[in-house]
Amino acid sequence: MKSAARWLAAGVLAGSTFWGLIQPANAQGIPKDIPRNQLLILENPEGTVKNAAWFNIWAINANSQSNGLQQAALDTLWYIDPNSGIDGVWDNSLASEKPVYNANFTEMRVKLRRGIYWSDGVEFTSADVKFTVDMMVKTPGMRWSAVLANAVETVETPDAETVIFKLKRPNSRFHSLFTVRWNAIWIAPKHIFEKAEDPNKFAFEKPVSLSAYVLHSHDPDGKWYIWQRRSDWQRTSLARFGEPAPRYLAYVDPGPPDKRVIAQMNKELDVVHDIAPEGMFTLARQNPTSKAWFKGFPFGHPDPTLPSAIFNTQLDMFKNKDVRWALTLLVDIKAVSMASYRGAATISPIHVPPTGRHPETYHLAMQDWLADFEIDTGKRKIKPYDRTMARQIADSLRPSMGNQIPSDPKDIAKAFGTGWWKPDPQAATELLERAGFRKQGNQWLKPDGTPFVIRVVVEGDARPIMTRAGSMIAQSWRQFGIDARVDVAAGTLLTRRAAGDFDVILSWSVETWGGHQDLSFFMDSWHSAYVAPPGQSQPSRNWQRWSHPELDKIIEQIRGIDFDDPKGIELGKEFVKLATREMPVIPLMSYNVFTVADETYWTGFPTADNPYANPVPNWGNSRYMFVKIKPKQ
Amino acid sequence: MFVVLRDLLRYNGEFLAGILMTGVVVAMALLSFVSPYPPLDQFVAPMDVPPSGAHWFGTTSRGQDLFWLLTYSIRNTLAFGLLVAILSRILSLSIGLLAGYRGGWVDRVLMSINDTFIVIPLFPILVLFYFVMRDNMSWVMLAVLTALLGWSYDARLIRSVALSLRHREFTQTAVFSGMRTHEILSREHLPFVLPIVFSTSLNNMNWSIGLEVTLAVLGFTDINRPSVGGMIYWANQHSAVVAGVWWWIAFPVGLVVMLFIGLYLLAISMNEYIDPRSRLERGGGRKE
Amino acid sequence: MRAYARYAFGRFLQFLLVVFIGINIAYIITHATPIDPVEHTVSVATAFGHTAPEAIESMRQSLRELYGLTGSPIEQYLNFWRRVLVADFGPSLSAFPSPVSTLIGRAIPWTVGLLGVATILTWIIGNLLGGLAGYYRRSRILKGFGIVAMALHPMPYYIAAILLLIVFGYLWPILPISGGSQMNVARGWSSEYILSVVRHSMLPLLSLLLVGLGGWFVGMRSLVSNVVTEDYVVYAELAGVSKRRILTAYVMRNAIAPQVTGLAISLGHVFSGALITERVFGYPGIGSLLVDGVHAGDYSLVLGVTTVSIVGVSLAVLVIDLIYPLIDPRVTVS
Repeated sequence: MKSAARWLAAGVLAGSTFWGLIQPANAQGIPKDIPRNQLLILENPEGTVKNAAWFNIWAINANSQSNGLQQAALDTLWYIDPNSGIDGVWDNSLASEKPVYNANFTEMRVKLRRGIYWSDGVEFTSADVKFTVDMMVKTPGMRWSAVLANAVETVETPDAETVIFKLKRPNSRFHSLFTVRWNAIWIAPKHIFEKAEDPNKFAFEKPVSLSAYVLHSHDPDGKWYIWQRRSDWQRTSLARFGEPAPRYLAYVDPGPPDKRVIAQMNKELDVVHDIAPEGMFTLARQNPTSKAWFKGFPFGHPDPTLPSAIFNTQLDMFKNKDVRWALTLLVDIKAVSMASYRGAATISPIHVPPTGRHPETYHLAMQDWLADFEIDTGKRKIKPYDRTMARQIADSLRPSMGNQIPSDPKDIAKAFGTGWWKPDPQAATELLERAGFRKQGNQWLKPDGTPFVIRVVVEGDARPIMTRAGSMIAQSWRQFGIDARVDVAAGTLLTRRAAGDFDVILSWSVETWGGHQDLSFFMDSWHSAYVAPPGQSQPSRNWQRWSHPELDKIIEQIRGIDFDDPKGIELGKEFVKLATREMPVIPLMSYNVFTVADETYWTGFPTADNPYANPVPNWGNSRYMFVKIKPKQ
Repeated sequence: MFVVLRDLLRYNGEFLAGILMTGVVVAMALLSFVSPYPPLDQFVAPMDVPPSGAHWFGTTSRGQDLFWLLTYSIRNTLAFGLLVAILSRILSLSIGLLAGYRGGWVDRVLMSINDTFIVIPLFPILVLFYFVMRDNMSWVMLAVLTALLGWSYDARLIRSVALSLRHREFTQTAVFSGMRTHEILSREHLPFVLPIVFSTSLNNMNWSIGLEVTLAVLGFTDINRPSVGGMIYWANQHSAVVAGVWWWIAFPVGLVVMLFIGLYLLAISMNEYIDPRSRLERGGGRKE
Repeated sequence: MRAYARYAFGRFLQFLLVVFIGINIAYIITHATPIDPVEHTVSVATAFGHTAPEAIESMRQSLRELYGLTGSPIEQYLNFWRRVLVADFGPSLSAFPSPVSTLIGRAIPWTVGLLGVATILTWIIGNLLGGLAGYYRRSRILKGFGIVAMALHPMPYYIAAILLLIVFGYLWPILPISGGSQMNVARGWSSEYILSVVRHSMLPLLSLLLVGLGGWFVGMRSLVSNVVTEDYVVYAELAGVSKRRILTAYVMRNAIAPQVTGLAISLGHVFSGALITERVFGYPGIGSLLVDGVHAGDYSLVLGVTTVSIVGVSLAVLVIDLIYPLIDPRVTVS
C-alpha cells in the first residue's frame, strides 16, 4: 500500500504541474511583448498559410494575400469602395486622378502621385508601374501574366509621374485591372524584383512595403503575421487620411467559427471575418463591446456578391427556361432566409446584389416593372412577384426579436431587401408539364421517363450560410416530388464549379463593384464567346454556362461606353429584365458577412451608420479602417 | 445458450450493464419506425427549444425534434457498425482460419498483408477515399471500405487460435477422412473461434462507429443521411456550442458514448466468459 | 545471435513490404482524385479577381509545364519512386514552389513530439495503473479509475477533443485552444518558448491521453491478474519477498512483454488520433497539413505526407519489433 501512496504523491505532483501551466486564456492568444492597446488583431480567413514565408503576390500561387499583405503593405492605382468610401466611393490612390482614355479606348493615360516611398527608402515612380506590367508579360505563368499579355501592347513612361498604356484592342474597362475592389494588380518594387532571377520562384521574403505598414514578424507555420506601422508612414498614399492608429496589426488564424466567437469574447480577436448567424447572436448577447455592420438585426455586412442557386444550363433538364422558372417558384425565400441567415438575409429577386448603391438604381427603381412581370404557364398567365416578401420576413421576426426589427419601410428595404417570387406549386406543375415532365405517384419524371434527380452542391463547413440555404432549397424541391439531395464539395467546390460538375450549385456568379453601378465586373465574362463546351473548364464566372444573343448584344454595347456613362445603368436594367425572363440562376440574397469588431481596445470601425469602408478584413479596401479607428482609453 | 445468458446476467454485473445500455440504444433506434417526422425535413418544429415536455431532447436550430431525429441517426449509425462488423468478420475469419490452418507460405503471405493493414494509418486513407469517391460515397460504400481496412487485427487473433487447432487430433482425423480445406475450416474450426468472433465484433463495431462519427463530423460523409456524426456536423454549422444549444451536441454524444460503453462492457464480459480462469473467480467456482 | 539476425532480417523484409504496399495504395488513390491541381489553381487564382476569360487557357498551359505534369502515367509512377528513394516529393502545388519535404519537415517535429509524448505517457501511466489495479485488486481508488478509463476508452478522438475544447477553452478558459505556441515568441531553446509550446500542447495531449489510457489499463490489469496466480509469485509471497519487489521484479516484468508488441500496433491508431486532434486544436503538425493538402487538391503534398507517415509508423513498429526479443527472452525468434 505504501507504493500506492507514493503513486498518489506523484499524481499530486503531476496535477500541480498542470495547475502551474494553466492560466487565463486571455493571456494566451495574444502576441508576447506588444502592448495590447497598440495592437489590432484581425482574422485572416485563409486559415493557416502553408507557404508562410512567401510574400510574392504576383506569382500564381501567391499563397497568402490577406495575411495583411494586400491590406497593409501593398498599394495600386485606384480603389473602389463597395460602401460609401472614405472620401467618396472612388479613391485615387497611387494615381493622382482618374484614368484618361483616348476616344476609341485603345490608350489609357495615368498620372501618378509624387512623394510616395517604398519602405526601404526608394521612391515610387512610373518605372515601378511599367516594370510590374512588363515583368508579368515577360514571365508567363504569373498571376496576371495572361490578362496583361492579352490586353497590353506597350507601357510608356514619358516621365516619373506619367504612365501610358497602349492597348491591343479597345477596352473601356482596362483600368479595372488596377482598381481594388477585393484586390487588383498590385504594384511591384522594381528595385527588388529586377534582381530576382525567376520572378515566379522569388519568395519576396522580407517584403518591401508601399503602404503604411511593414512586416514585423510571422509564424514559420503560417498561423499569424504581425505588421508594424512604418516610421515614415507619411510617405504613403494612406497618409492623406491621417496617421494609422494601431502601431501593430496582427492577422491570425483563429480556427473554425466557434473558436472565433470564443476568441473575441476572450478579447483575443478584435475583428472577426465571418461566423454563423447563431455565433453573431451570441456575441451580440454576451459581449456588449461587439459591433457588427448594422447595430441590431440583421447585423451582417452585405457584400456585393449574390449567393444564388446556379443551374448547369448545359444539362438537358435545365435547358428549358420553363423548368428553371418552375424550380424558382418552388423556392420559399422566407424559409431559405430563415434556414441560412435566421432571417438576417437581404433578399433579391433580380440578378444584381442588393448592396451598396444597387438597390436605389435597380431594386427599388424596378419595383413596378417586377410587379407587372408575367409568366405564361401554358394554361394561364401569372404575376409571380410579391413585393411584400421582405416585410413579411421582418414581421415574422418581430415577435421573437422585438424592436430590433425595423418597422420603417425604408429601413426594412435596406436591411431585408424588397420583394421576391411567390411560391406557386400549381404554376410550377403547369410549367413542368409544358416542358414535358410528368408526375408519377409521388415522383416527377423527366421527358425521357427517368426520375427527375437534382444534386445540389454546397461547400460545407467553409460556408455554413450557403450550405444551409442549399439544404433548404433541396428540401422544398423534394417535398414537391423531385429527388433532390445535397452534396458537400468542401475543398473541391472551386474545381467542380469550374468543371460544371453539378446540377445546381450554391455559389455566386454575379459579383459587382458595389460602390459603382457598372455591372461589367461580372457581366463581361457572361459573353457567349467564353462559354466552355460540356466537360471543359468554364472561365470565371459564368458558372451556369448560360448564353443568350440579347445578352451578348448588351455586353458588347457596354464595352463601347465609358465606365461612368449613365447609359451603363440603362443597359444594366436591360440585363436585369432579360435575366428575370430567363432565370439562368435563382438569385437569393446578398452575401451578408458577419464581420464583427470588438470595441474593447479600438472604436470607430465602419458600420452602416458610418459606412466609410468595407469592414471585411480580408479586402484590400479594409485599409481605410486603420486611419479611422481610435484607441479606446 | 439460454443457461449461458442467465449465468452471465446473474453473476456478471458488467454484462448486465452492457445489455441494459445497448438495449436502450437499440430501443431508440427501433423507435425511428414510429417517428412522426420525416428524417430529412427541417423546420417542422420550433427552433432552439430546450428539452421540455413537448420536445424531450429539445429542438435544433434547423427546426427538428432532437429526440426523433436521434432515433433515425442512431439507427443509421448502428446499421453502419453492424454492416462493417459482418463484412470484416467474413474477411478476418476466412483469412485467419486459412492462415492458421495451412501454415507455411500461405500463412506468411497472408500475415504479411495482414501486418501491413495493422500498421498503415487508416484515417488518412479513408479521407482520401472520400475525396476520390465524393458523391458516390454512400454509407454502404463507406462500410465496405471500413471493413476492408478493419479486419487485420482480429484475423491475427483468429489465426493464433487456428494455429493451435491445427495440431489437434480431430483436425488430423478430419484430414484423413478426406475433408477439404474449406470443409475443415467451416465445420471443425469455426465453432472454436466463434466466441472470439463475437467479442471482437463488438469491439470492431465500436471502432467503426467511432470512425464514422469522426468522418461525419468533419463533413466527409453523405450529409443527407442522418447519423450521430452528421448531427454534430449540423450543430457545428449552426455554432450550437457557443449559441448555447448544448442539447444538440449533448444528446447525440451522450447516446453514442452510451452505445460505446454498452458494447465495450459486453465485449469484455464475453472475453472473461471465454477465459475460464477469470470466470471461476467471479462466479465463485460455479460450473454449468 | 544467428537466430536473432534471421528474425531481424525477416522483420526488415516485412517492413519493406508494408512500405511498398502502403505507398502504392496512397499513390493510386491520390492519382485517382478528381481534383486537377492545375484547374484548382486556376479556379483559386480567378475566383475573386477580375480575370479576362480568354487568359485562362494560356494560364493553364504554363501551369502544366510549371508543375511538371507532363509525361505518361508510367513515367510519372517511376519518377515518383525515384524521388521517394531520395525523400524528394517535388514542389508543393498549393504552396508552390516550396518543396513538399520542406513543408513536411516543418510540420513533423510537432506531430512526432505530440505523438511521442502522448504514446509514451499513455503507455506508462496506463500500464502502471493497470498493473497496480491487477495486483491490488481491492483498492477502491484503482477500481474507480478502472471504470472511468473504461468509459473513456471507446470514445472517438474527435469527441474527446471537442469536449476538452469546450470545457477548457470556453466554459473555463484556462488553456490555449489553438496553435503550437504563443504569437511573437521567438523560436529556440529558451525556457519561454518551451513553456509556451508545452502549454499549447496540453489540451491535444490530454485528449490523446484520455482516449488512450483505458486500453493499456485494462490490458495490463488482466495480464497482471493472470500472472499473480502463477506458482512462482505464490512462492515468492510465501518466501516473504517484499510486495513491491514482487510487483516490479516478478509480476510487472513478466506481464509487460505483450504490452510492448501492443505499443507497436497502437502507434498506427494513435497516429490517426493525432490527425484529428491536430485539426480540432489547430495544431501545426502533419495532420493539419494533410487535410489542408487534400482540400487544396495538392496531390504531391498529400502523397508526401501519406508516404512519410506510412514509413514513419512502420519504422517505429520495426524498431519496437527488433527490441522486443531483447526484453522478453521467452520469445522464440525462430
